[in-house]
Amino acid sequence: MTTLTTVAALIQEVIGEDWDLDDEITLESSFADDLELESIEFVALAEKMQASFGEGVDFVGWLSGKELDEIIALKVGDVVEFIDACRT
Amino acid sequence: MPHLIANDQELHHQLLGDATSDATPCVFAHGLLVDNLSSWYFGAAPIVASSRLAVCYDLRGHGLSSHAAEGYDVGTGARDLIALLDSLGLQQVDLAGQSWGALICLRVALEHPERVRRLVLCEAPLPPSSLSEMASVISSDPQELLDMLPESLREAFSGGKRRAIKAARRLQRLLTESTLVADLKAEGDIEDERLAEISQETLLLYGDESSCRPVADRLLALLPKASLKTLPGGHYLAAERASDVGALIKEFLDG
Repeated sequence: MTTLTTVAALIQEVIGEDWDLDDEITLESSFADDLELESIEFVALAEKMQASFGEGVDFVGWLSGKELDEIIALKVGDVVEFIDACRT
Repeated sequence: MPHLIANDQELHHQLLGDATSDATPCVFAHGLLVDNLSSWYFGAAPIVASSRLAVCYDLRGHGLSSHAAEGYDVGTGARDLIALLDSLGLQQVDLAGQSWGALICLRVALEHPERVRRLVLCEAPLPPSSLSEMASVISSDPQELLDMLPESLREAFSGGKRRAIKAARRLQRLLTESTLVADLKAEGDIEDERLAEISQETLLLYGDESSCRPVADRLLALLPKASLKTLPGGHYLAAERASDVGALIKEFLDG
């Protein structure tokens, strides 16, 4: 599985039964406008990513350097890029 | 998702920072209705967590905690918080609360002074009727309440479909399928003599445009060891001025 497919699966898990998007999750999908993730869902996603990618990917630490509006403006590609950078 | 049963309630919480740190852990309590732990978690908490364990939790009926039909009064909120501390094995903590969360922290400090080292009250509305937003809550008009939110927070309730529907549904449920409104109406003031008993060093944080800004002067005069920092902004200070609030809390707790 690529990083993107893993991240996309985790996003779908977080959104759960409310998942009603026909479009595929791509690197260009934005968390706020396209996926409409709530900030509390972002907390849940951060935790799932940490569990999935391990301690080496300090996702919460990375997010904590950002303001809430920056976090909201993130795209899936930004997260994938961060994870890949941690693993190389 | 870390949930634990505290005071018969399933409470969602998140830990940030070093759990083995010798520094006193800080527990963050958020405000009612439109708020949840994310305003601390993505705001001040990680800044504070650079020197101590930070615990953010969702109040009953909020965020990822379970829905509760009753118990939105400050007394029950304080019992939930004490039960959370017991479950996490935390004997003494620092407490930081925003709005209603601040009232809960204040109550814990009064009733269990031995459990609280330092106290941060961000926009504590005392009495609750000092806050103009409270009238909208009591009228149970979700739209009126949303109109009073700063733009940065209003986004969660607008824009598209899924997120806005979900947020509105949650708000509606709290307003119409729980005792929240009645609990808020019934919540009274704390007497001056009682406030004078607060033995902890206390940091008061208020927005200069907030409707409950005058409360800060009363608390500053009555609390024996209080200091006040006023920031530009309104009532939703912990979310609106997250970095400044985080830096001030960190400085206060580390000093």
